Amino acid sequence: MHTETERQALEDALLVTRCQLGEAAAFDALIERWHQPLWRYARHATGNDDAAAETVQDVWLRVLRGIVRLRDSERFRAWLFGIARRVVMDRLRAAYADRTVDADLATLPEPQSVEPDYDLDMLHEELAQLPVIEREVLVLFYLEELSLQELSDVLAIPAGTVKSRLFRARQLLRRQLTNKGVIR
Amino acid sequence: MSTPTAKDMQRLIAGELSLRSRIAYTALLLLTLGAAGAIGSLWLTEPSLPLRTHLAFAVLVGINLSWVSYATWVLTRRRVLLAGHRIIAGRMAVTFSAVFVAGAAIVGIWGPGGSAAFAAAGFGLVMLAVAIALLIHARKNFARLLERRRVLEVQLQEASR
Repeated sequence: MHTETERQALEDALLVTRCQLGEAAAFDALIERWHQPLWRYARHATGNDDAAAETVQDVWLRVLRGIVRLRDSERFRAWLFGIARRVVMDRLRAAYADRTVDADLATLPEPQSVEPDYDLDMLHEELAQLPVIEREVLVLFYLEELSLQELSDVLAIPAGTVKSRLFRARQLLRRQLTNKGVIR
Repeated sequence: MSTPTAKDMQRLIAGELSLRSRIAYTALLLLTLGAAGAIGSLWLTEPSLPLRTHLAFAVLVGINLSWVSYATWVLTRRRVLLAGHRIIAGRMAVTFSAVFVAGAAIVGIWGPGGSAAFAAAGFGLVMLAVAIALLIHARKNFARLLERRRVLEVQLQEASR
């Protein structure tokens, strides 16, 4: 019995293998399947359409150039978002001096669930105002539904650090929403 | 820049997948490697050359090796060879190396080439051995991927039941 996630991983693995063989149609199918999630991630991570468009284009070129070296084809999703993250980070590094997040975690309130009927567009706007490190972990975990292990691969950090980063990101988002009176 | 669609990305990748450009770069690699080998053989087997001629040979070999490096970089970093492409490139390399060896041997035996032609034939034999090894590896890799595809198709059929 396979879960939906396992079936999707198998479908990805099959497409990747066909790409490695050199089938142009498999690249088309892979792009059809992953363009939107990639665009969503890039849009959130970069904060504007032009940068996201360049990022997505760069990611697909790197996928084409690197796919022969992808041994574990069932891990395609983590590999793809890992590339996307490196492209975004390269762009950020080039554009700005290193910026660090200075959140005073000790003063943050305990986490509570976000209202389920909260307007999604507004939530996207609030996400866009978070620092990039926190924004990307929330986007990948909640919007792209990557598992903790996949996030650990993508972000190149241990699973424990992923959890603490997620915790901190949720706290920052909650504080932001609380300050605006959206939640109490 | 407007929001790119999946179709835009498919067009971009289709252009990057061009077989013609991969064949062109493989041909460039083989021709310049062959030229470097032939010129190098002539250089090494000519006795008592003046310094100016040594320099000229060195520059010619250097130019050809630069093109070899460039073509190798393109084929491993930009126009990457996928499994199917590697078989085509391997066949091109084997054919080119065999013709190179035969040509050099004919010039050595019947032509005025002498020891330079035999040295070039020796270089060609090394190229041929490497080309055969690369072709065998490419075919094995292609077969492995075909088998992987078959296994995944079976697994997917089972998962869909």
